[in-house]
Amino acid sequence: MAFCTGCSLLCDDIEAEFEGGKVKRTMNLCRKGRAHYDSLSIDRLTPAVGGSEVRGEEAVTAAGELLAGAECPLLLGFGRSTLEAQKLGIELAKKLGSVIDDPTSRQGLIMERILKGEVPTCTFDDVRNYADVSIYWGDDPSSSHPRHLSRFSYFPRGEKRQRGYEEDREAIVIDVRRSPTATIAADGFFQVSPGGDAAFAEALLAALGGKIPKVEDKKRMLNLATKLRKAKFGAIFTGPGLADAQDGDLGWFFSLVARLNEFTRFSVIPSLPDYNTRGLHQSLFDVAGAVSPVSFEDGIASGPKFGVTGLLESFDAVLVVGSDPVANLPAPLARKLARIPMVAVGTHRNLTTDAASVTVPTAMAGLEAGGSALRSDGVRVDLEAQVKSDRPTDLQIVEMLMEVV
Amino acid sequence: MAETEELLVVTYRGIFQEVEEALGIYSDSYREESAVLFLDGSDALGRKIEAGRPILLETSSGKVVVAAKISEEPHPGIAFMPRSPWSASLLPAEVGEGGLLQLKRFRARASPAGEAVTTIEEIGERIRVF
Repeated sequence: MAFCTGCSLLCDDIEAEFEGGKVKRTMNLCRKGRAHYDSLSIDRLTPAVGGSEVRGEEAVTAAGELLAGAECPLLLGFGRSTLEAQKLGIELAKKLGSVIDDPTSRQGLIMERILKGEVPTCTFDDVRNYADVSIYWGDDPSSSHPRHLSRFSYFPRGEKRQRGYEEDREAIVIDVRRSPTATIAADGFFQVSPGGDAAFAEALLAALGGKIPKVEDKKRMLNLATKLRKAKFGAIFTGPGLADAQDGDLGWFFSLVARLNEFTRFSVIPSLPDYNTRGLHQSLFDVAGAVSPVSFEDGIASGPKFGVTGLLESFDAVLVVGSDPVANLPAPLARKLARIPMVAVGTHRNLTTDAASVTVPTAMAGLEAGGSALRSDGVRVDLEAQVKSDRPTDLQIVEMLMEVV
Repeated sequence: MAETEELLVVTYRGIFQEVEEALGIYSDSYREESAVLFLDGSDALGRKIEAGRPILLETSSGKVVVAAKISEEPHPGIAFMPRSPWSASLLPAEVGEGGLLQLKRFRARASPAGEAVTTIEEIGERIRVF
């Protein structure tokens, strides 16, 4: 059995056969996972300097020279890197006196509270065995993490949940649109207006306290509060919709989680975007006591002002590892980023590699290379290569960069 | 809704877009899954926008042409768009009070377009050249 690194569930029951560097047959992959496996032979990155293809060693040398000559470099990404590469990437940031940031990961604030032990969490296996109520808040795992509901949170039988979703589990979805997950939840879907999440939480807190909530359908909110109060084991899965709901101010969410835990155990597991986003958060937290962005310019400091959004003008070189910030950041920031000399290390061609001065291709973790990673719930897994590849691992590239800077 | 009134655009990720992204962002299939805007029927009618036709979306950050789709459920004043390089072209660069970029929603003007849907190559060139 192999792992799938197509998302942060890191499914561990994959069977695959390969032929001529392509996927021949697979078992147990979801649609997204199959596409991830098929991408082995699609749009792979090639080594280049200034837009011209070169040998891999030349690209690494040019990358090292670019970073070594910079006074204020920025490191971006690392969510699609192994734990080993992430840890060495943090050492590289320290050595360069630079900032490390993953601006497209939106749940850093929630992860930081979880890692500090201020917000209760649990594993997906706990959810499968014990959870009778799952809340998906601004989260649509049926699209982003397609086997979430079938392996862990809604459909499966578990140790204390032998009747599965038919009788033993309840799905609550709080979202601005009727997503595929909301469709599965059916009557458990609560639609909020964009930015209306805090007001919904306030109404729910009132209902939990036995007060009349200030919402249109008071009876439905009171019924929800009763359901949550009576839950035996609750799980809350957070998505980008929640993280972005109030411009990053999530005090209302933490208050609600604390209140729910006065009645019964409610654990929070963020649905993280890349296969090892959790690993990056953990690795940064172990070193800095905070998640990204973290600055090593003058000691260790963290906070949004140090990252790509605050200091972009002052960086004179960028190293992007396994990410596509040019495609995901707001266009004004993407344009600024594209004007800075950039090294892009990754598996596939994208808008960031197209804008980079130097591109360095790497092997796909879990398919062409081994290493370790943390699932969204913090469980560590050890990945193994399934096919041979001439491409170096991201760890090997960071090791080479460490030698030349 | 008035023709000139801005729509609140909320972004999301869909499974088919996730699949096409994994298979390569330079494909026609990825563009077809990403460069779309789901409008409320009355909002589309008020702006003379027809399903399947190209529409121009503009914000202070940029403009792109995407394909219009009409939602089955009503959501007047709000439109939904897959999170992608097309939506990123329109996102504001200002951070909110919590210090985070707002990558989830923005206000945009929408009108019928006389040109084809913007390609990802055009988006890449605009970022690199301007």
